[in-house]
Amino acid sequence: MAFVGPSGCGKSTLLKLIAGLVPATSGSVMVDGRLVRGPLKNVGMAFQNPVLLPWRSVLNNLLLPFEILRENGDSRAPDRALWREKAVALLRTVGLGGAEDRQPRELSGGMRQRVSLCRALIHEPALLLLDEPFAALDAFTREEMWELHQTLRLHREFTGVLVTHDLREAVFLAQTIYVMSTNPGRIAHVHQVTLPFPRTLDQLYGAEATELIRLMRDQIRSTRERTA
Amino acid sequence: MTRRIALPFLVFVVLLLVWELAVPLFRIQQIVLPAPSGVAGTMMRTAGPIAFHARHTLVTTLIGFGAAVALGLLLGFAIGASATVHDALYPLLVGFNSIPKAAVVPLLVMWFGIGAVPAVLTAFLLAFFPIAVNVSVGLATLESELRDVLRVLGASRWQIFRKVGVPRTMPLFFASLKVAISSAFVGSVISETVASNAGIGYLMAVATSDFNTRLAFGGLFVLAVLGVLLYGVFAVIERRLTGWAYTD
Repeated sequence: MAFVGPSGCGKSTLLKLIAGLVPATSGSVMVDGRLVRGPLKNVGMAFQNPVLLPWRSVLNNLLLPFEILRENGDSRAPDRALWREKAVALLRTVGLGGAEDRQPRELSGGMRQRVSLCRALIHEPALLLLDEPFAALDAFTREEMWELHQTLRLHREFTGVLVTHDLREAVFLAQTIYVMSTNPGRIAHVHQVTLPFPRTLDQLYGAEATELIRLMRDQIRSTRERTA
Repeated sequence: MTRRIALPFLVFVVLLLVWELAVPLFRIQQIVLPAPSGVAGTMMRTAGPIAFHARHTLVTTLIGFGAAVALGLLLGFAIGASATVHDALYPLLVGFNSIPKAAVVPLLVMWFGIGAVPAVLTAFLLAFFPIAVNVSVGLATLESELRDVLRVLGASRWQIFRKVGVPRTMPLFFASLKVAISSAFVGSVISETVASNAGIGYLMAVATSDFNTRLAFGGLFVLAVLGVLLYGVFAVIERRLTGWAYTD
C-alpha cells in the first residue's frame, strides 16, 4: 500500500507510528493484530537518505542487522556464513553482484539506495516501511528502482508500506493508495489499483493509470486549497 | 608526499638564510637577536641539558594529554548521548574553557608546589576541552534515520552507541587529538616557565634571566620541532584509522 499527500500531512509520522518509533498521542496502532507499544522488531526501513555506514564495506553494511540480531539472541541470525551468502545473493538480485567489498563512498546514489534497500530486507522482515526512498534519484534510476522493487516483492512475502510524493510511483508499486489531507492529517480518499502484477512501466501511460493519477492530483490539490 | 615535506623545509632554510644575513647587515646585537648559526652552536654545546629538559617536557605533556583523552572521551560521550547532560554541563564547560589557563597556574602551584604536577595539570586542563566537544558533536549529529533503521531491528541504545555512535565519532575524535596535543604542549610549557625546575619552559626562563638569548632561541626551536612531531604523529594515526571519512 502507499500513502500520498501534500507535505506536512503526516505521512512520515504515520510510518514512525506504525514502526512504534513514536508513541501515539491518542488512539492506538495495531500491527498483525497486536497493539504497538514500542519499536517493532520485525521491520525493515529505508529512507530518502540511504544512511549507510561509510566505514564499512557494502557487505559489512548488510551484516550490521545480523550483528544486532545475534547479540540479541534472535533466531533469524543463525551464523555468519549463512548470512553472508544471503547478502551476496541479495546484492546479485539488485544488480550489485561483486560489489561486496566496495566502500559506500565509491558507489553512485542509485547504488547506495539499492544497498540501503538490501539492508532493509536482509533479515526478511514481515513489514517493509519506505519513506520516499527513491525521491533523491534521477528519473531513470528511479524507474529502475521501481522495477527492482517489484521483482523483490514478487520473490518474497512481506507487507510494504510506501510513503511518497510521486503519484506514478504509488500507482506502479501499490495495490491500495491512501490519499491524505493536511490539517488535520487524515486519510481523505482510498483507491485500489487494479493493474495486475507484474506491472510494466508502459502501463503507467495507459488509460487506467493516467485517469487515477489525474484524479489523485485533483484530490490533493483540493485539500491544499482548503487549508490555504 | 615529498613535495609536502620538501616545500616547507625549503621555505624554512630560506628564512634562516635571510635571518643569518640580516643580523650582521643591520648590525643587530647578538643579545637582542642572535644569528641562527650562533643559536645552533649553543644548542650543540648544551645538547645534553637540552635533551634532558625536552624529555621532561615531553613526558609531562603526554601524561596530561593521556588524562585529557580519557576524560574528554568520557565527557564527550556523556554530553553527546544525553540531552540532559548536555544542557547541564555544556555551558559550564564553555565558561571553564574561557578562563585563560595561565591564570590558573599560580593556584596549582600553591596547591601542589613547584614541579611537574602543575605542568601535567595545566596540560590536561588545556587539552580535554577540544576532545570533549568534538566527541559530543560526533554523537549528537547521528542521523535520525540511521537510528530508526537500527531500532526497528530491536537494537538497544547501547548497541546503537557501540555500532554506530562510536565509529562515527572517531574522525572527529582524532581530529581533536591534533589540536589537543598542541594545547597540552602549550599548557605544560606555560607552567614550566612559571614554576618548575625542569623542562624546556624552565630552561627558557633561566636562559632569559641570564640574558642568554641564544639558549632561549634554542629552546624555542626545540619546542617547535617537538610540536610539529607530536602533531605529525597524530595526523598519521588519524589518516590511518579514519581514512574513510576523507574524500580524495
